[in-house]
Amino acid sequence: MLAYTAKRLLAGLVTVWFIATATFIAMHQVPGDPLMNDKAVSAEIRANLEKKYGLDKPVVEQYFIFMGNMLQGDFGISFTQQNRKVNDIIRDHFPVSATLGILAIVFATLGGVLWGALTALYRNRLPDIVIMFLVILGISVPSFVFAALGQLFLVNLNSFVGSSIVPVAGWGTIMHMIMPSLVLGLGTMALLTRLMRSSMLEVVNEDYIKTARAKGLSPTRIFFRHQLRNAILPVITVLGPQIAAITTGGFVVELVFAIPGLGRYFVQAVQQLDYTVIMGTTVFYGAFLVFMVIIVDILYGFIDPRVRLK
Amino acid sequence: MESTYKPKASDFAPVKSNVHGEQISRPSLSYWQDAWIRLKKNTRALISLYIVIGLALFTLVGPYLWQVDPALQDLNQISQSPAWPKTSILVGPYQRFTPVVLDDFPAEPEEYLENIPPPENIRTSEPPTTQHVRLVWDPVGGAGGYNIYRNQRVPEGINDLGLPLGSTLGGNEVSYEDRLNLESRNYYYSIVPTDGFDESYEYQTLEVTPKLAITFNEAIDRGLIGPGEDRELNSEIELEFHPFGTDYLGRDMLARLMQGARVSLFIGICAPFLFVFFGIVYGGFAGYIGGKLDQFLMRFADFVVALPFLLFMILFKIAFGIGPGESGVIPMLIALVILGWPGTARLVRGQVLQIREQGFIEAARLLGGKNHYLIIRHIIPNTMGVILVTLTFAVPAAIFTEAFLSFIGMGVAPPTPSWGSMCNEGVKTMLSHPHELIFPAVFISITVLAFNLLGDGLTEALDSRMRSRE
Amino acid sequence: MSETILEVQNLTVEFATYGGNVKAVRGVDFHVQQGETLAIVGESGCGKSVTVQSIMGIIPMPPGKITAGSAKLKGKEILGLSAREANKFRGVEIGMIFQDPMTSLNPTMTIGDQIAETLMVHRNVSKAEGRRKAISLLEKTHIPEAEKRAAQYPFEFSGGMLQRAMIAQSLACNPTILIADEPTTALDVTIQAQILELMQELQRTENMSIILITHDLAVVAKMADRVAVMYAGQVIETGTVNDIFYRSAHPYTLGLKVAMPSNQSDRNKRLTPIEGSPPDLFSPPKGCGYFARCPNAMKLCEDHQPPEQIIAKESNHTSRCWLQHPDAPSVDGLHQPEAAHAG
Repeated sequence: MLAYTAKRLLAGLVTVWFIATATFIAMHQVPGDPLMNDKAVSAEIRANLEKKYGLDKPVVEQYFIFMGNMLQGDFGISFTQQNRKVNDIIRDHFPVSATLGILAIVFATLGGVLWGALTALYRNRLPDIVIMFLVILGISVPSFVFAALGQLFLVNLNSFVGSSIVPVAGWGTIMHMIMPSLVLGLGTMALLTRLMRSSMLEVVNEDYIKTARAKGLSPTRIFFRHQLRNAILPVITVLGPQIAAITTGGFVVELVFAIPGLGRYFVQAVQQLDYTVIMGTTVFYGAFLVFMVIIVDILYGFIDPRVRLK
Repeated sequence: MESTYKPKASDFAPVKSNVHGEQISRPSLSYWQDAWIRLKKNTRALISLYIVIGLALFTLVGPYLWQVDPALQDLNQISQSPAWPKTSILVGPYQRFTPVVLDDFPAEPEEYLENIPPPENIRTSEPPTTQHVRLVWDPVGGAGGYNIYRNQRVPEGINDLGLPLGSTLGGNEVSYEDRLNLESRNYYYSIVPTDGFDESYEYQTLEVTPKLAITFNEAIDRGLIGPGEDRELNSEIELEFHPFGTDYLGRDMLARLMQGARVSLFIGICAPFLFVFFGIVYGGFAGYIGGKLDQFLMRFADFVVALPFLLFMILFKIAFGIGPGESGVIPMLIALVILGWPGTARLVRGQVLQIREQGFIEAARLLGGKNHYLIIRHIIPNTMGVILVTLTFAVPAAIFTEAFLSFIGMGVAPPTPSWGSMCNEGVKTMLSHPHELIFPAVFISITVLAFNLLGDGLTEALDSRMRSRE
Repeated sequence: MSETILEVQNLTVEFATYGGNVKAVRGVDFHVQQGETLAIVGESGCGKSVTVQSIMGIIPMPPGKITAGSAKLKGKEILGLSAREANKFRGVEIGMIFQDPMTSLNPTMTIGDQIAETLMVHRNVSKAEGRRKAISLLEKTHIPEAEKRAAQYPFEFSGGMLQRAMIAQSLACNPTILIADEPTTALDVTIQAQILELMQELQRTENMSIILITHDLAVVAKMADRVAVMYAGQVIETGTVNDIFYRSAHPYTLGLKVAMPSNQSDRNKRLTPIEGSPPDLFSPPKGCGYFARCPNAMKLCEDHQPPEQIIAKESNHTSRCWLQHPDAPSVDGLHQPEAAHAG
């Protein structure tokens, strides 16, 4: 297990290096000098930046300067917000995105497991048909539509109640967090529900469930002790990639709900062509996602003994 | 179950030429025939297939049936909800408004009034149209001016008067002209007198329903009146028909949806085909060559898979750059292919490795089959099922990606419509004109739904494990 | 003769599928006595497993449905009970082990916990007590280092060891009957013998009855006191093991015997398989189920179900075959006490 973890972490580092390199190459494909595009940059700052990033030096040397800075955890200074370090931007805004993301993934996982188990129990009966219809909707409707509908719902709710009990946009209190994380988790929840359902139906037909029944266990005990635990396993394996989906889905939700998260900042930076912020955030997000996948895989080992002990 | 039959002696005659076991009752079917039969039984998949065909017709044939320029702005019908054809009255060119300023205005009272009474007898001086609404009212003694408000529903109090339109400069100026984004609907104009600085607590409201109006010149420009045709002023005229309404710039939604479908479906279908094709070549090559090169190629694919997909889509978008006048469809396509291929490559390689080890390949080789024969006759056909399923699921994913990028403004450049960018525009007017968001959103959802269900159906139909059942 | 523990009469089970109703079990009768081993023999799909799983009430319902019949355990009806009622005998009076031990144990629970679970549910013992008993049960089934093994997961066991653990689990509450559904099919030949010996040993020490389901006549010869031969959802012949092997009264039993290799068989002679495959139970044949494959088929076999004929009263030897009718012709190799004079 330890050797496995070490191996995964090492591979993760190499992947992050690859992401950083790919980011560097992509940004150097931008036609013309990145600094030329932005007229707001004054001559003085421009000279500083050129010095800092070695923009007057050959590309290979620039690459090493860039990688060197990255290794030291220095993502540079924002182009558009002078005097603001990219590190500070990440530190200020990432916790917001992370909170939103964690809430969304918790909500999606709980919902997915619950609804999935329920549909499997009521297979081909009304609850199953209704939930699966909603699941298909959840998979087919883009996240921004959910975000818009969620906001619309809040507007109507507030005007119905007569006061704004749930804020329509912004960030700060628990009330601010509910709707955005719900909306953000919906797509993933639909996916997990579907997965959980098929996983449950597969487990029901497993021989060990038959054994459990032959042992004279009550249906409730079989359901919780034998069926649920085994059915959850495949759901956990997809959590890693789903974290990536939720993170990027967060961009849209942050935009619609005016949440000051890193995702919204990234989109803004892209629109303003703030190159250092774009590069820094991409590499940061890339590293974050790579290690999230590794963490989920390792956690999976704790739940499935077959992985843990091999 | 117990038989009560009493046998006769002749019953014990032996039956010769006995059938040995069962006859094979089903006709032999090829893999694809069998899959097609099973797909046809799957109602959901079949309906989805029809929807996909319908969407293709919508975008390919639609523009020939509905010949409206998707870029043309119908300024008379901005953010028009879906409705039957509207009529409008013909009006002359705009005439400047002369405010009504009274000379014999009641002198200001001596003492300061806490509450100035509301103005009486508010009326429109001319028939209200969407060209202009002109209000006049009786003066109020002691007023230093009037504030004019407009609301879309009946005001519920002094704090619910709606949009402040403007104010008049003195108590003797008792008229106002509203030309602000007028639509053909009910408005509630409220007049609040002021003492010159502060508002009174009293107001008076008038309900006005302006008629849709279009000027002569514009009607001729838009081809609503033929060259030689003679029309009277204030006569009714039929406006352009927008069955799906118009957007915030007055562009026809139906025409835009058709054109947007072209972008969304083009990306949604072309990108998967391209990267699946590249993936097949790459993965097939790696799987067939094997050894060190295979290891290296697949390791590279692993890295590309690890790139955060949407972040790099955005990054590539910037990297390629969009020149003025370009739609940005091709850069997006390229970015999708660059990031999309490794999944298929891995899958195909795995399939090739698996099939290569199977007995029938060995058998074919022993029968003298050459390499290229084995690949074309045995390996490729056996991977086709999996590839087809991947392809079907890649389509909705690509459509989603396009919509997502366009929604955050990183997709196709305006004015080219795509469903995603239409959603982006629609979300801004979501509260007042929901149809601008709903239509493109519904189209995206139906398309994605259809491809997903079709993919499910194909997976089931092509799963060879299912063949033995039923 | 000792007392009858389990008596099954006219058991009929159907499965509703998209293609129609499959009549998997069509009026099966058998009984099991204290301390004896009843082997149920037949090829795949003949309804052996469905028969015992219906008695245990563990066939999936729906699609499965017991449409007729009764099963009495010590005189008490056990068919059609609620889950709560059925759990009073499942795992307590009747233990069961399955064909593939690799998939028949929960992969995410330790062996010890799975055995302890049975005890905790039925005997109301604490978890610690359950685990302690689980270890002694594992020792009873000759699993070495039982204490260490109890804390392990199924994937850490070999197939033979798992089947021992399965047996330990089924014995937890000292059942009167052990149902073994093809317990050795998925195991190596050498392991098979060990498991069978273990079962025989435990049968002696615990004084259990065993219902052994198998398609392997060698296993039958080694284990069984009495045999029920099933074909197309019916018991076509029952009797003592000697009746079945030496006085086969049904052409199918005869066919099975000829198809089995033995020490005595001539090395140069080919084994004779039974041609064809069992009938489609979507629409079971009107007459004898074996008609299409029977080398001795007669005109009446096609349209008329053969009644159960008693071959030997004292050993309860019965056969469902028209060849046992007094008017039937005699057939070479077939035991036909009644029909011998005809033909």
